[in-house]
Amino acid sequence: MMRFTGFCSAIVLVVVSGLVQAEPSAWALFDKVQNAVKQYNFDTSFVVLKGSKVDTYRWIHGRTAEHEIEHLIPLDTNGVDILRRDNQIYYLLTDRPAFVTQGSSIPELPALLFEAKDNISRLYNAVAGSSLVMSGRSAQLLRLTAKDAGRYSYWLWLDDETGFPLRIDTLSDQQTALERWLVTHMQISPELPENLNALMAAELPQPADTVTKAAPEARHKLTWLPQGYQPIVDPAGIPQLENSLLSYWLLTDGLHQVSVFVQNSQQLPTQAYRDGATTIYVQTSNQLEVTVIGPVSIETARQLAAAVH
Amino acid sequence: MSSENQDWLSAASDNQPLSKAQLDSLLNDAQLQHQLERYHLIGAVLRREPQSPITADFADNFAAQLADEPVYQLQSDRNLLKRLRNTVSVAANGRWLQPVAQGAVAAGVALMAVFGVQQYQQSPQQDAFAPLPVLQTQPIAGFATPVSLSQTTVNDRFAEQEQQAMLEQQKRLQALLNAHRQQVRVMEHSQQAKQTGNNADGKDQNEQQ
Repeated sequence: MMRFTGFCSAIVLVVVSGLVQAEPSAWALFDKVQNAVKQYNFDTSFVVLKGSKVDTYRWIHGRTAEHEIEHLIPLDTNGVDILRRDNQIYYLLTDRPAFVTQGSSIPELPALLFEAKDNISRLYNAVAGSSLVMSGRSAQLLRLTAKDAGRYSYWLWLDDETGFPLRIDTLSDQQTALERWLVTHMQISPELPENLNALMAAELPQPADTVTKAAPEARHKLTWLPQGYQPIVDPAGIPQLENSLLSYWLLTDGLHQVSVFVQNSQQLPTQAYRDGATTIYVQTSNQLEVTVIGPVSIETARQLAAAVH
Repeated sequence: MSSENQDWLSAASDNQPLSKAQLDSLLNDAQLQHQLERYHLIGAVLRREPQSPITADFADNFAAQLADEPVYQLQSDRNLLKRLRNTVSVAANGRWLQPVAQGAVAAGVALMAVFGVQQYQQSPQQDAFAPLPVLQTQPIAGFATPVSLSQTTVNDRFAEQEQQAMLEQQKRLQALLNAHRQQVRVMEHSQQAKQTGNNADGKDQNEQQ
């Protein structure tokens, strides 16, 4: 009897230790991805697939002892060159002066790769999946499954050797892929990529000193927030919509951002659109038209729009 | 019959190659053929081969049998095609096909008109977007596809006013989408100011470790 109990407890111990280990190893993979996109010198191309639409970009990143620089170039004809030098992000426009913001990552790149792990582990469970050969390289799957319904999940495939992300799928609640981010070419080098050398030294415009005007006080109330979301206290004003906008909220869960616009009704039907993983939901009631834009499910967007009073 | 002849015939019976002239003479001369047959027979006997499964007069029998075969003639499908073509050409000249053909042409022109007008209407409005005084966020090609149908019916949708309203709506939504993207960019400003502080602390800690 003693031996049997001992045997059982040994099995239990092995199983429990296995479970305990599974979590950290998945998050260790996540650390590896975040480290790869921050620390390596690389020159890579990727495509973003949104339904039948395809956008192609080249992304070059370099790091010296003191500085970090990265350049995102859209390879389609439209789009803006984006350059980041340390904490300054420059949107290099052809016909207007560059627009400068501050941030430690380019918002047009998948936020998942740069957001603090604490934020992400609050919203997601990480599970390491199987390996797969992708473009001739061995890729390890890392699944980030949302803890709350209505938040999109992510499947990441990362290069076994370097930890560099090779593919990121954004999945809806029903596990259908809404958007796919896919690396088509990747080169990691020990030296700073040559064309970044010049940009590192280039004279770039200073950020404009103009204080961004805060959005006017909301005239309505938002009575419900999706799980994990908080409103940003003083969102910036939107000058081009100043005349038509009645209320505006910007919500964030640390990883995603959702905008809620309230305008006078244009007598148009309630509709939902989707641009890749971004949902655009327009709801018209008596006098108001509420538009919700962000990476949330249509059901969440509908609830948000209904919560405007 | 010269011995020369017999030499090459004998060689031929031992599977030696024949020249063209020799082959011609063999084909034309029945006597030579008999001789070759005999040589083969002699060879077979010398090699003690069992009796050939094919009799010596196999070729003659085969020719006789072929002569008795009835002659088959395959009919080409061309007749069927010709008949079809005739039917169509008769129908085209007939009264009933002409209105149908005219209708098809009219429908084609109408479709061209509808799509042409759409294209024409879209382009200037997109241009009107470009000189916005504020930050032009990254323009998206085309526009998001509807996932839930509106309450409008298909017939209504083609009504001009409806069309105009849809375009207006798309323009407004595009503006809102741009505003959203702009907000995300600018938000990083304040959010990340805090975060870089936190990150820097985290990094220091890591380094200390």
